[in-house]
Amino acid sequence: MSSREADRLSAAQQTLDLLHDISQLLGTQLDKETLATCVSMIESGANPEALAAVIQELRRERTSINAQSPANGR
Amino acid sequence: MPPVNETLESLVLSLVPKTRTDESLKRQLVAHSIDILNSHIGQSRETDIGHLADLVKRYLSQSSPSGASSLKFTNLLSRLLDQPVLSRKHAALLFLYSLASTSQPSTTPTFLPSLAPPPPQRPNLSPLNPSNPLPDSNPPRGKSKADLLREYRVRTGRPQLPEHLLLRDTLYLLQGISGKYVRFVPAKDPDKEKQIVFVDDPKYVIPTPTKSLIHRLSEVGHLYTRVEALVRDREGRPGVGMIEQSLCHYLQTQLTQYYRLIAILESQMASSLSPVSDDPSSNLENATVEESGLTLRRLDVWISDWRLRMRMMSACVEGARDAHGGALVNLIHGYTDNGDPFVRHFTDQLLEEVSKPFFATLHRWIFSGELYDPYSEFFVAVDPELAHMSYVASGGGQLSGDGGFAGGNDDITGEREGGLRLWEAKYKFEREMLPAFVGEAFGRKIFSTGKSLNFIRYSCHDSDWVVTREKLANTGGTLKYSDISGLERSIDHAYQIASQRLFDVFIEKFRLLDHLRALKHYLLLGYGDFADQLMETLGPSLARPANTLYRHNLTATLETAIRSSSAQNDPVDVLRRLDARMLEYSHGEIGWDVFTLEYKVDAPIDTVLDPDSMMKYLKLFNHLWKMRRVERTLNKGWMRIAGGSKSFFQVPELNYEWHQIRVVQAEMIHFIRQMQAYCELEVMECSWQVLADFVEKKEGDLDALIEAHRSYLDRMVKKVLLLSPKVGREENLLNQVRELFATILQFREATDNFYNYCLSESARRDAQRDTQRGVYTTFEHGSDPSSLEGLAPILHRIKEYGASFSERAQAIVQGLQSHADLDCRFLGIRLSFSDFYRTKKEQHQAQSHQRS
Repeated sequence: MSSREADRLSAAQQTLDLLHDISQLLGTQLDKETLATCVSMIESGANPEALAAVIQELRRERTSINAQSPANGR
Repeated sequence: MPPVNETLESLVLSLVPKTRTDESLKRQLVAHSIDILNSHIGQSRETDIGHLADLVKRYLSQSSPSGASSLKFTNLLSRLLDQPVLSRKHAALLFLYSLASTSQPSTTPTFLPSLAPPPPQRPNLSPLNPSNPLPDSNPPRGKSKADLLREYRVRTGRPQLPEHLLLRDTLYLLQGISGKYVRFVPAKDPDKEKQIVFVDDPKYVIPTPTKSLIHRLSEVGHLYTRVEALVRDREGRPGVGMIEQSLCHYLQTQLTQYYRLIAILESQMASSLSPVSDDPSSNLENATVEESGLTLRRLDVWISDWRLRMRMMSACVEGARDAHGGALVNLIHGYTDNGDPFVRHFTDQLLEEVSKPFFATLHRWIFSGELYDPYSEFFVAVDPELAHMSYVASGGGQLSGDGGFAGGNDDITGEREGGLRLWEAKYKFEREMLPAFVGEAFGRKIFSTGKSLNFIRYSCHDSDWVVTREKLANTGGTLKYSDISGLERSIDHAYQIASQRLFDVFIEKFRLLDHLRALKHYLLLGYGDFADQLMETLGPSLARPANTLYRHNLTATLETAIRSSSAQNDPVDVLRRLDARMLEYSHGEIGWDVFTLEYKVDAPIDTVLDPDSMMKYLKLFNHLWKMRRVERTLNKGWMRIAGGSKSFFQVPELNYEWHQIRVVQAEMIHFIRQMQAYCELEVMECSWQVLADFVEKKEGDLDALIEAHRSYLDRMVKKVLLLSPKVGREENLLNQVRELFATILQFREATDNFYNYCLSESARRDAQRDTQRGVYTTFEHGSDPSSLEGLAPILHRIKEYGASFSERAQAIVQGLQSHADLDCRFLGIRLSFSDFYRTKKEQHQAQSHQRS
């Protein structure tokens, strides 16, 4: 059982690596952790395009916050 | 669902570090993210990983022109596909791809959220926009060309007219109403169509493609106004034909459907407009609007079906303007052969509807013989004068049939007009009104069926039969356009029954055959004993001038002749109709010239025996009667000569003359006998046989019967009267024959004179001998010289008439030999049997040669 679990884990790891490579290739700027989260969400049925929109949105949020925060801090 | 929430939360935390401290921001972002996730962005894509891979490769080759990265991607992808872990590799890939493509804003989005291109005036594509405080012109978001153009327009001060305004106008246009920005302008020239004009608005411009689109759409509106105008026009007008009414009805139902469509479109438009104005923040709804809302292009798609339909309807409307009734049906039928199944289907439906009144009329026509066609749309037209006459004529016919034997002449001639004319002219067949799907031959059949029924009903007083038939036929179901074969069957059936019945009525109820036979017996002198008897009794009085003859005497003589011949066995109804009268005579004519027999017919028999044929019968009678007279005269003369031969021997020096006379008389008798035999055996009996065969078969309708009788009569007239087909010289031979008859009569008269002379001469000689013997007799006047004086002119006349007969007979024989008709030619051969006349002619010529 443990061996099978290990197999599964390694396979998951491999898949994640592959996806990460592709992600790198496409220049999505996602780190492995976020990618794993996203893939798990997609696996559980999330709409991939919507998810992409979410990521975009959150990034934009971050940049806006970053832009605001120096002004606030000043 | 909590797991999604949690993962989302972790995502938010990792991506936006600030949320780790700011709880409210985190919650807000998470909620927003869930909203996005639940939205319908980019759903319903095909899940073809190959296609996606292609997209990715294209993207990669765009970003890095060297093929290395794309190759690497292919490699990675194949390895990924080998991995068993992920169940939604496609989705994952799609996620990455969309992320990559949207993170590079300068590239145009490959997946447009809506199939239709976005209307130019829509504020922004991005669903994030409403809640996003950033303006459109934010640097990270690049601008599409359309955006640039729009901005340019805004700068120039004349932005494009918002589509929803145009949409509203277009919907108005579809209903034939002018809108605010686009309107219909009636052309100055009334022949031309209305035009579409775009109102110039200083604030807005309408782009050219949109204009042409609206132009296309407005065609439907234009057609609609035309169709609607017709329907309106016909609605209010009196005297619109049934077929047109049903066309209008059909158009009306079609228009109702059209209204329904317009209403749906309008509600669509309303729903597409409302969210924009009501709730600008609900971006998700905006996205659905893009899916379901109404745009000009979508409208075009929606309407395209109707455009065809409207065109068809409009074509029908155009046709309805100058076509009428059956012709209109024909026009529509012309479209059923269209190759386009849509058009064909539409026309079939239309025809089914439009032809309903036609079939209703047809039903009444072929099953009850009634023409119910208030707007004269059926292909059978009634003559308005005769339509009324059917009742009058039949009523009158009945009367004169009962007691009209001695009725006034006026009444009878008035009656005579009925019959055939009623049958032939009461209903007319109008070819241009005949629907094409029926076919001409069939139309004739229908026409004949109805006519027969009508005739049976009104002219033959047999309406009970028609009514029962109608009831029987009604159970058979209705006639329809879609059931042409059934229609043909039922028409065939009805036709057969109707003609059969009409035949039966004529032959059994009205005893047509009896009448025809009577005509043959009396007018064509078929009853020899009757004719002889009549001639015997009438002879003396006919020799008198015509103005001393009286009708009552004639009829009385006729009665006697009937009583004393086998004619008395004929039915009373037939004898009752027989009448003797005089033709109109002029001064100097004698009874022989004007006497005629007459046979009276009344309705409905006079349909077959119409006045024209009666005239022909009279003509035939006249000729045959003359022939009979000549024959009788010759017979009597021969008998007299044969009987008197004893007395001639008292005058032996005239024996040679008598011989000559007998030779000529024998020639005459031969001539007249051949002539009679020809007329009776070869012409009349043969023609009668043909007619009898036809009647026996009982085929065809009344028209065929009339035709058969007519050809029977024509054949007789042509052959008995030896009419030649040459125009202008038809009666040449007939006139010659008549002259010949006259010559024979004159000859007979001359021989009578000669006979009388001989008689008196022999009496004189007897007296002489008596005185020689010393017997006293009272006979003393009439001395030799005077009697010899009288002899020369008599002999001269006899010779002259004999020669002229021979000449005429020769001419007739010659004429007959070159006659077009074979029977007549044979007559010529019989008359000049063994080339009698030719050798005679040759002898004559030789003689004249010798003399000269």
